[in-house]
Amino acid sequence: MSGQHIFLELILMPLLAFMIGLFLVLMMRKVRARIERRVGPPFLQPLWDIIKLYVKKMQISHGVIHDLGIIMLLGGYITAEVFLPVPGMSGFTSQGDIITLIYLMMVPSLGLALGVGQCANPNGSIGISRALTAMLAYDIPFIVVIAGACLYYGTTDLTEIIALQKSQQWGLLSMPILALAGLIAIHAMLGKEPFEIYVAPAEIATGPMVEMSGKYLGSLFVMQCLQIYTITVLYTSLFLGGGYTWFDFIPKLFLVALLPVMITVIFPRYKTDDVLRWLWKWPTGLALLGLAIVVLQG
Amino acid sequence: MKDVIPIQTNNTETIAVSKNSKNIYQQAIDTFSNFCRARSLFVLHYCTGCGAIELPPAMTSRFDMERLGIQPMVTPRQADILLITGYVSIKTLKRVILTYEQMQGPKYVIGICSCTVNGGMYWQSYATAKVLSEYLPVDMYIAGCMPRPEAVLTGLQQLMKKIEKGEANSWENYFKRYDYYLGNQQHLFGDTWHTPTDILEEARHYHLYGAESTGNNTARLIKYTVEHDLTKLDAPLREKDSMTKRGKK
Repeated sequence: MSGQHIFLELILMPLLAFMIGLFLVLMMRKVRARIERRVGPPFLQPLWDIIKLYVKKMQISHGVIHDLGIIMLLGGYITAEVFLPVPGMSGFTSQGDIITLIYLMMVPSLGLALGVGQCANPNGSIGISRALTAMLAYDIPFIVVIAGACLYYGTTDLTEIIALQKSQQWGLLSMPILALAGLIAIHAMLGKEPFEIYVAPAEIATGPMVEMSGKYLGSLFVMQCLQIYTITVLYTSLFLGGGYTWFDFIPKLFLVALLPVMITVIFPRYKTDDVLRWLWKWPTGLALLGLAIVVLQG
Repeated sequence: MKDVIPIQTNNTETIAVSKNSKNIYQQAIDTFSNFCRARSLFVLHYCTGCGAIELPPAMTSRFDMERLGIQPMVTPRQADILLITGYVSIKTLKRVILTYEQMQGPKYVIGICSCTVNGGMYWQSYATAKVLSEYLPVDMYIAGCMPRPEAVLTGLQQLMKKIEKGEANSWENYFKRYDYYLGNQQHLFGDTWHTPTDILEEARHYHLYGAESTGNNTARLIKYTVEHDLTKLDAPLREKDSMTKRGKK
């Protein structure tokens, strides 16, 4: 692969991730609005929100770590995008496998913790402690799911996993229990109800976002786009066979994002300890069962 | 103490900013920025008055603010619009001012109900602030007792048009004419009134410092903060008539 080609991919992959992420966010808001029998936001609303936040005339920084934390959380996801294979582009997928990707997906939470820590707002501190607790809760089933999938396919390389699914069958069919556990885990990763403990607008005033204004909040909105994209692409690659072309790849992403949104609206919010207890009991139990089946089959 | 500081009721028209200094690219960027600002408004509700009851139908399925790009936010840092529904008592006004000063410009204030316009049915009360625009730069009043959700949405749409034309700049007045607003605030709260936000320093930083930013009232504030050691003494920019930083209360 030529240097020019890889350079182009390094720019295109995060850019495409952001653009698809915008539409994923739009779909989530639109579906939520329709379920609540509202019209919902206009087509380019997520983009207007982000541009508006970046062109605010006053910006409050709470210090160097606040700025660095925001860069860290954006950087974590932007780097994660080049390790995610999409149709036609594989970036650094063969150099860094799925374990690198899991590491990179934890960087944004830590960046957020650093940045919010300097705001010295009690709501923010509570929010970030809840966010890290939630990460502890959903990462256990998520990592067991990924371990099970990698054991089944016999590789940690995402491009190889996708190629194997194309020649045999989708992961969803060959290991349905792991796929179900993974779906619950990504619901928690997206921070939707009933796992919305760290945003909780009525309780801790949006938690980590409480002191964010202007471009800082705008960066969090960009992060949300990239987060949804990263999670859905990872799930699609593991269980839905990745994409042959963009035309079947993008509908799969929207389907994966749609499932949590469809059921999230009917739920209230769990308490923090209940989230931990529930996620360590049911999805972790399912994931361990799926892992056991994979090991026994193997 | 309240007798010492008279209320000031001079005109509150926006001080014009010269647009000649901008070249065509800056104008294009400004136009696009205003276009985006008008399409994405985050609202912070300050609902202690009765007008608050008209906002849930404006937000939910009957009228649905989100189709206009307006959504509720929960902290002043994130919000663009401060929506004040109904009367503001003197105690409430202190909180409203603290909230307003924490918001990031461009920021807009909307007064809903007659009580914010002229005191409404509370005009004889000793405990309410009568005219909101004497204490904060108000962009839009939506009169009525109470205005229906249609009126609220019409008001918001008029504000959106103003923003798109680049005319909703009254938030700059709070910096340019801080002396006037501070004087009226002191009239109600006494001359020990001070907030954690240093408006004069912010005005300097964002180039919004004008001839009317300082005056007798800001001098009173500076005197108070210096006497009570609320100033940061090591700040290099400190001058005779200015105050660089104020500590928390």
